[in-house]
Amino acid sequence: MVTQAPSRTQPRSNRVLVSVQQFWQKRAPDLIPPIIGIAVFLTVWQLFSWSGATRLPGPLSLWTDTRTRELLLYPFFDLGGLNKGLFWQTLASLGRVAQGYTAAAIVGIAAGVLVGTSPWLNKATYPIFQFLRMVAPLAWVPIALVALQQNQPAAIFVIFITAVWPILINTIEGVRQIPEDYDNVAKVLQLSRKDYYLNILFPSALPYIFTGLRIAIGLAWLAIIAAEIVMSGIVGIGFFIWDAYQQNYISEIILAVFYIGFVGLLLDRLIALLQMKIAPTRK
Amino acid sequence: MSLLVAVDQVDKVFSLSDGGEYIALKGIDLTIKTGEFVSFIGHSGCGKSTLLNMIAGLSLPSSGVLTLEGKKITEPGPDRMVVFQNYSLLPWRSVRENIALAVNSVYGDLPKGDRRSIVEEHINLVGLQQAADKMPDQLSGGMKQRVAIARALAIRPKLLLLDEPFGALDALTRGNLQTQLMRICDENNVTAVMVTHDVDEAVLLSDRIVMLTNGPGAEIGNILDVDIPRPRQRMEVVEHPSYYSLRSEIIYFLNQQKRIKKLRARKTTAVARHGLEKVNLELGFVPLTACAPVAIAKEKGFFAKHGLDEVNLVRETSWRGIVDGIAGGYLDAAQMPSGMPLWFSLGGHNNRPLPVVSALTMTRNGNAITLARRFYDQGVHSLDSFRAMLHRTPDTQRRMGMVHPSSMHNLLLRYWLAAGGIDPDKDLALQTIPPAQMVVDLKNNAIDGFCVGEPWNLRAAMDEVGFTIATDREIYDGHPGKVLGVREDWAVAYPNTHIALTKALLDACRYCADPENEPEIRQILSQRAYLGTPIDYIHLGNPTTKVCTLDKPMREYAHHLFFGDGANRPSRTEPLWHMAQLARWGDVPFPRNWLEILERIVRVDVYSTAARELGLLDTKFTRGHIHLFDGTDFDAEDPIGYLNGLAIKRDITIAEVVLDGRMAALAA
Repeated sequence: MVTQAPSRTQPRSNRVLVSVQQFWQKRAPDLIPPIIGIAVFLTVWQLFSWSGATRLPGPLSLWTDTRTRELLLYPFFDLGGLNKGLFWQTLASLGRVAQGYTAAAIVGIAAGVLVGTSPWLNKATYPIFQFLRMVAPLAWVPIALVALQQNQPAAIFVIFITAVWPILINTIEGVRQIPEDYDNVAKVLQLSRKDYYLNILFPSALPYIFTGLRIAIGLAWLAIIAAEIVMSGIVGIGFFIWDAYQQNYISEIILAVFYIGFVGLLLDRLIALLQMKIAPTRK
Repeated sequence: MSLLVAVDQVDKVFSLSDGGEYIALKGIDLTIKTGEFVSFIGHSGCGKSTLLNMIAGLSLPSSGVLTLEGKKITEPGPDRMVVFQNYSLLPWRSVRENIALAVNSVYGDLPKGDRRSIVEEHINLVGLQQAADKMPDQLSGGMKQRVAIARALAIRPKLLLLDEPFGALDALTRGNLQTQLMRICDENNVTAVMVTHDVDEAVLLSDRIVMLTNGPGAEIGNILDVDIPRPRQRMEVVEHPSYYSLRSEIIYFLNQQKRIKKLRARKTTAVARHGLEKVNLELGFVPLTACAPVAIAKEKGFFAKHGLDEVNLVRETSWRGIVDGIAGGYLDAAQMPSGMPLWFSLGGHNNRPLPVVSALTMTRNGNAITLARRFYDQGVHSLDSFRAMLHRTPDTQRRMGMVHPSSMHNLLLRYWLAAGGIDPDKDLALQTIPPAQMVVDLKNNAIDGFCVGEPWNLRAAMDEVGFTIATDREIYDGHPGKVLGVREDWAVAYPNTHIALTKALLDACRYCADPENEPEIRQILSQRAYLGTPIDYIHLGNPTTKVCTLDKPMREYAHHLFFGDGANRPSRTEPLWHMAQLARWGDVPFPRNWLEILERIVRVDVYSTAARELGLLDTKFTRGHIHLFDGTDFDAEDPIGYLNGLAIKRDITIAEVVLDGRMAALAA
């Protein structure tokens, strides 16, 4: 039995190797260019930093700087207060985004359907929406702080107010763009209001709604960082950056930026995946 | 069949973004009976879909009323289900779910099982069992349209509305679906309205075809009844005698609409020159040997010689084209059958008297009656044996072709038949067919004979599909054939042009009558711009040429009379004879004020001036009595007495025909 064990694992690891090889062969043309691109970018950055033309450390400093290396290797430590691993920092920010974004999605879609189905309402609200949409997330921060007095709800409000416009405006557009043919089918069949919403309006507007949701998730993530930088004294990746800057730990900032970029990418892919599942694009 | 849909004086006006208005439809009147299949046909943008949408209730009329079973249509509903052009299936629902949505919404109070079986039944009806769970984007266009039809039929609408249902499909699929739709409609007695621009589809599927004119202000131009019995098979429909005439009627209509659009866009203004009011003329003609004077006047420069430098000859394949051109005002003048000016003036066209005058008879004779060759082989060699044959086989519907109700061919043929004891409407059916189509139809057995001008009698004989049983020389020798016709308002507006035109054509007639010129004239006529037929078929005056294989009875074929002996002067007795014959067959009423009408439309003054200026002296005042082959002389002094004495005739009406005042006509 014991002697047979290696012979059982051997073919399995072989199989894994073979499937990795196959995967690589198939996807190599898609994977090689981005890998080269990233390598060149990092190399140039590192060389630039070595040349002494800037104080900005190169990417290698993530490893060479001890503090940063620890942060990199132990993302899960929690020493209480604000002294937490980057995983917890990111999670805290994500939690705020989740709350604000969910509120934005609910309000945005509901209001969008309402406004989209009523040409009068659409005309009435159009200038207001276009005006408010243009206000930068950071500009909302002092307003939110004054209005809500506390950091936590204010941060969530900033997420909400940033994310709601693309959802709202795309939903309105999606409802307005329902092909006349579908509306005609509904009219001829005299569908009930409920049937109309469930069978015509939502399925038809869904691609637009998802476009809004995807734009909004990116904006929400951007906004939370900005908001946290301004609202000091909370756990979150944004404040972590601000804190590191105050203490001149530049390579920590670079590490945090990598986190932010990576999480943003994940969020976008997540919504895209959701869209694929719920509303696949049709010919 | 009871009345299902009534469209009463409906207008549809769209307001434009620049504040203006677009009148899409104007004064639409239409009724649709239960079980009927009606098609709307017309060019793009003529408002046929708009009309369909108004019946559906998807858009409302600007004025007028549409009713379904007497109730005003104010909103869409499942009793008028629409099959949309682009199918309009919901892409996020499978075939079954798409049909189920309709069924559940309409039959919400039925038990679930019943609803499900309705859905399955209709999936089977259109043969989509295999695809029932597929999404629409996995289906071909034809399959999608079948789903749309199944969805529509599943809710048992009172009226099925189809908006170009097969427009986006390939020919093979289209054919299959048409057959399926026809079968489903026949089996379920569906009332349907279909918008289409496919002529064959319209004829194949419809009981009636509504033809719409071009917008703005589109109207119903004409409604055709399709008298092909049901159930129909595609191949049987194509072989039905009415098929080609219906088809050509629709195509003619559509082409006419296109031309009117072009002419509206062009809007020519009169070019005055050489002391003439208008030298740019559109002159209509139909390609026949008798069009020689028109062709010669153009080719040999007689128009230019008399100052008309910009005469454009408009070749029409049927007299219908000439009628529409003159009525629509886009032809200045035309070669016309001898009865046409009268027919126009007496309200033959749309029951609206339109004064049309004639100042020149361009040809006499040149017509004959041809029967299918098989009658010759059966021993039918004379009128008597023809009658005997017809009465022997009363159950067989025989058809004969003629070119226009007002043409000499129709009147000669009817006269000849009636003189032989044959009622042209009861013992036979006469059909209006363009001249160039006669021989083809005879070959296809769509008709059994015809009366038409040369070269078509000659051609039928030479091609051995028919034989000439009588020529006009025997029936009514020297009868007027083609005349020059212009609207009276035109003649009043351009009096000198009218004289110049008459002069040019009279000059050309003189040229045509010279035997020396015959080879040249035949050669010119055979060109594509005119007859477009081999020169062997074209003969002008030499009756002895042996051209066909029949040994007996040999007739003299070509005998056109273009000039001489008072041949060209418009007579007053001849139009009176026409008037009597047209009234006899019920085409127009016999005018109580016939003297006034004759004075108005026979423009001897114009002819006389033209002839004098050409140096021709008026030789005779009358052409004498009109003498016909049955021995009766036409008494020009008592036309009503003549009509009363006839044995075979329709109900004759005698009425005062009021022509518009000349000045009123000018203003219009």
